[in-house]
Amino acid sequence: MNISRKRTLHKSLKPKKISLHEWSQQFRLIDDALIRKYKYYNNDEWGIYLSPPATFSVYGTRELKRLKLDNSFAALRMWGFVFNETERLFRARQIGKRVIATMGDLGTVPVLVMSFPDCVPFYPECIWWIPFFRESTELLDVASKLGTPEAACFSRAALAAFYKKAYFPKPDLIVASTGASCDDYSCIMQLVEDLGYEIFWVEIPYRRSLLPIFINKGEQRGIKIGAKVVNGEKENVTDDYDQTIHGYLYHKDMEHYLINEYKRIWQRMFKLTGVNNLHRLEETIKKTNHLRKLVYEIKRLTFEAKIAPLPALELMTIEFGNLYGYADFDEWFDIVEMMYQTVKQRIDKGVGILTEKAIPIAWITPTADPYLLNIVENFGCRVVETEYVINQALVEIEENIEPFRALARSFINASLIGSTGERVKRIKGKITEGRIKGVLITNMLGASHCAMETRLIERMLGNVPVLAIDVPAPFGITEQIKTRIEAFMETIR
Amino acid sequence: MALTPLENPDGVFCTPSSDAIPNTSNSFLTGLIGYSCSYIPVELLSLTGFKPYRLIHGDITLSNVGENFVRVDACPLIKSNIGYVMQNRTNFTALIGSTGCDMARRMFEVLAEMTDIPAYVFNNPRTDNLQMFNNEIDQLIQYLNKFTGTTFSNELIKNEIEHWESAREKLRSLKKKRQATPSLVSTTTLHKAVINYYQGNIEQIKIDINEESSYKPRVFLIGSPVPYEASQILELIENRLRIVGDFNCGISRFLNIKIKEKTLDGIKEAYYNQPDCIFKRPNRKFYEWVNNQIKEVNCTGIIAWILDYCDNYDFELKRMEKTLHLPILKLKSDFSYQNFSQLKTRIDAFIEMLSHTRSSIL
Repeated sequence: MNISRKRTLHKSLKPKKISLHEWSQQFRLIDDALIRKYKYYNNDEWGIYLSPPATFSVYGTRELKRLKLDNSFAALRMWGFVFNETERLFRARQIGKRVIATMGDLGTVPVLVMSFPDCVPFYPECIWWIPFFRESTELLDVASKLGTPEAACFSRAALAAFYKKAYFPKPDLIVASTGASCDDYSCIMQLVEDLGYEIFWVEIPYRRSLLPIFINKGEQRGIKIGAKVVNGEKENVTDDYDQTIHGYLYHKDMEHYLINEYKRIWQRMFKLTGVNNLHRLEETIKKTNHLRKLVYEIKRLTFEAKIAPLPALELMTIEFGNLYGYADFDEWFDIVEMMYQTVKQRIDKGVGILTEKAIPIAWITPTADPYLLNIVENFGCRVVETEYVINQALVEIEENIEPFRALARSFINASLIGSTGERVKRIKGKITEGRIKGVLITNMLGASHCAMETRLIERMLGNVPVLAIDVPAPFGITEQIKTRIEAFMETIR
Repeated sequence: MALTPLENPDGVFCTPSSDAIPNTSNSFLTGLIGYSCSYIPVELLSLTGFKPYRLIHGDITLSNVGENFVRVDACPLIKSNIGYVMQNRTNFTALIGSTGCDMARRMFEVLAEMTDIPAYVFNNPRTDNLQMFNNEIDQLIQYLNKFTGTTFSNELIKNEIEHWESAREKLRSLKKKRQATPSLVSTTTLHKAVINYYQGNIEQIKIDINEESSYKPRVFLIGSPVPYEASQILELIENRLRIVGDFNCGISRFLNIKIKEKTLDGIKEAYYNQPDCIFKRPNRKFYEWVNNQIKEVNCTGIIAWILDYCDNYDFELKRMEKTLHLPILKLKSDFSYQNFSQLKTRIDAFIEMLSHTRSSIL
C-alpha cells in the first residue's frame, strides 16, 4: 500500500477514543515512509518519534493501558512527541545544545531562552505527570526522603528528578521564579538548590488589582479618598494603574519589576552564550504568538463545536505545549498545526469524539492524573473551559511594543499571581451565558493555593454546581471518586 | 453578589459576602489595622492614627471558624486569623498583608471578599531586591495616606520611630536576660510581654518582672509563628527546658529590627536588612543567621515548631537537621493540643538525648 492510500485510509476512520491495543492495530495502517517523515531536531538518524503508544507503555508509561486516546494521526504524532521528551533533552545535550531549566513561571522565561541560538528550555515541574503516567510513586517517595511533606503539590516529583539525574541532563542554567506564586514549588526549588545545583532566582511580583476594592471600600465607609499624597499633589488612583490587553488591571510598578527581571535573565543568557541579539527576541515572540493563536483557535473551535472534536486529555496536552513546545518548539508547532487541521476537518464533517449530549463543564487547576480527564468524559461530561494555572502561556504577547515590556505585560496575565476572582472571571462569564453547567476543581492536598482558593471559587461561582476533588496519589483513583463524579453528573444533567 | 450563608460552628449564620455584611459600626475609624508580616513597618501603620494589630492568632476554635472559608488543609494560623477577623470585623479599619507566604497573602483576599474591611497587599520580594522593597514601602505610604487622609511628615516619622524603637529597646532588655547564663527570663514570660507590642499597646509593655534563673537545658526555638494563644505549649516546653533564643514571628523576631537613622530611609533599611525570613530565596542567610544565634546563646538543642501545612518550614525540616548540627525536636501542631501527654513524653525523650549529646561534647 502506498503512503497516500494508507494515510487516506487512516484519515477515513471515524473519530473516537481508542485503547492501546486498538492503536497498535491502527498503527499498521501507517506507512514506514510516513513514520520516518516526522522527527525532532530535524534529525534523520535518531529524531523519529512516531511509534504505537504501546511502545511507551512497555517503557514504563503503564497508565496508557487504562487511558483511551484520540485515534487521529495528529494525536499519534503528539503523544509520540510528548512521551519522547526525556530522550529529546539528552539528545539536545548530545548535539551541543544548551539545556535550560525554567522553573516556576510557567510560560514566559522560555521565550527569552529560545531567543538564544541552540538553547532548549524545559519545565522540570511538568515531571509531575510522570508518577501518574507510570503508575509509580517512586519519584514522590524519593521526594519525601529528600524532605518534602506528604501533603504537598505533586510537582515535588521534580525534586526527585533532579536528584536521580535520569529525566533530563544536568541543566546548563536553572532559572527559578519565585514570589507571589505557590509556596510548594518555591520550597521545592529551594531544595533543588540544596542538592548542589546553582540557581538563578527571579522575582514574580504580585498583581495588585485588589487596590480598587480597597479604595472603594474606604469610600463606602466614609473615609476621605484622594487626599493629598506625599508630594502634595492630588492624584487619581487610576493613574498608577494599567491594564493588559486581556483585561487584567495592574499597578504599573509591576511591569517595571518584571522588565528588570527579564533583563537580568537576558544578561545571564548572554553570559552563557555570548550572543546578544534583541531582534531574535522579537522573532521568538512572533513565533510564540503563532503557536498561542493556533492553540487559542483549537480551544475555541473545540469548546464551541456542537460535538467535541477533541478529548480533554489531548486538549490539556496541547495547552501545556504552549509553555515550551516540549523541548522542540518548531516540531511542536507543526504537530499543533496538524491538530488544528484535524479539529477543523472533524467540525466541518460534523463529527467528534463525544456525543452531542455531553454536558459542558469547566475545569479548574490541572489534574496531575490524566486518567481523571478520561473518567469525566466517560461519565458524559465535556470540558468547554479550562483554568489550568497557565493563563500567562495562553495569551498573545504584544508585538508593537518594546519586547521586554511585552513579555512583562503578557506575564501579568498569570493565573496565580493575582486574585482568585480574576482567575475565575472567564468561567463566571460563561456560566452567566449558560454555556457551563458545572465546574470541576482538581486539588492537591496541602498545596497552598488549592487550600486557600477552593472554597472561595465555590462561592464566587454562585449557583452552578462545583465538584472539588483531591487528586489522589498515582493509581489511587477509587470507586468513591468515580461515584462522586457520577453524582456530580446527575446534579448537572 | 448573592452568596450562600454559612453556618459557623456555633450554629449562627454569618453571611460572607461583602455586600451582605452591613456596615453597622463606626468603630473602624478608631480601630485596628491588622497586618501579617515582619516586613511591614509597624511605624508606618501607626502613623495613620490607627493601632497596628499583628494577626498571629492560633486557636482551634478560631481555626474551625476559618474552615468555613478555606479548606481544612490551609495553615491553622491562617484559619485562626480568618476566624478572628470574621468574629471581630467591626474592630478592623483596614488589613495590610504581605506576599511573604502564599497562604498569608491569599488570606487577605478571602477577608476582602468576605467582609467589608479594605485589604491591601504589600509586595514583599522573596529574592534580593532592595529596589522593589523600597518602592513598595513608598506605595504603601501613598495608600495609607490616601486611605486615612493623612500625610507623614519627617517629624512625625521620626517621632514614631522613637516611640516604637523605645518599645523594642525595652523588650530587648528582656531578651538579653533570657539569653544570659544562667537564663533569667523565660520565653513564656517574654511571650506575654511582647503581646502588647504585637497588638499595638506599647505603652502597656511591662518589663519589671521577677527574674527566674534557670539551669535547665538551653534550647533555641525556630519555625512557624508562635500565636498569642501559645502560652500553654511554651509552658509545657519550659517546664523541663529553657528556650534562650528564637526566630519566630510572635516572639522575639521583630527585636532584630533596629532603626538607626530616624527617617523613612532608616525604616526601609532596617526592615529590609532584618535577618532573612526562611521564605527568602535563596535562604542560606537565614541558616547562617540561625547558626550564629545558636552559638551566641549557647544552646544544646533546637525545637522546631511547625504548623500543619506550613510549607516554608515543613519543607525545610530535613535541611535544618543537616545544616544546624544540633539535635532537633520537631513539634507539629494544628493548635488542638490534644496530644499534650505525648508531647510531654517527647520533650522528656529529647532532654535525655540532649544530655547524651552534652556529655559527648564534654
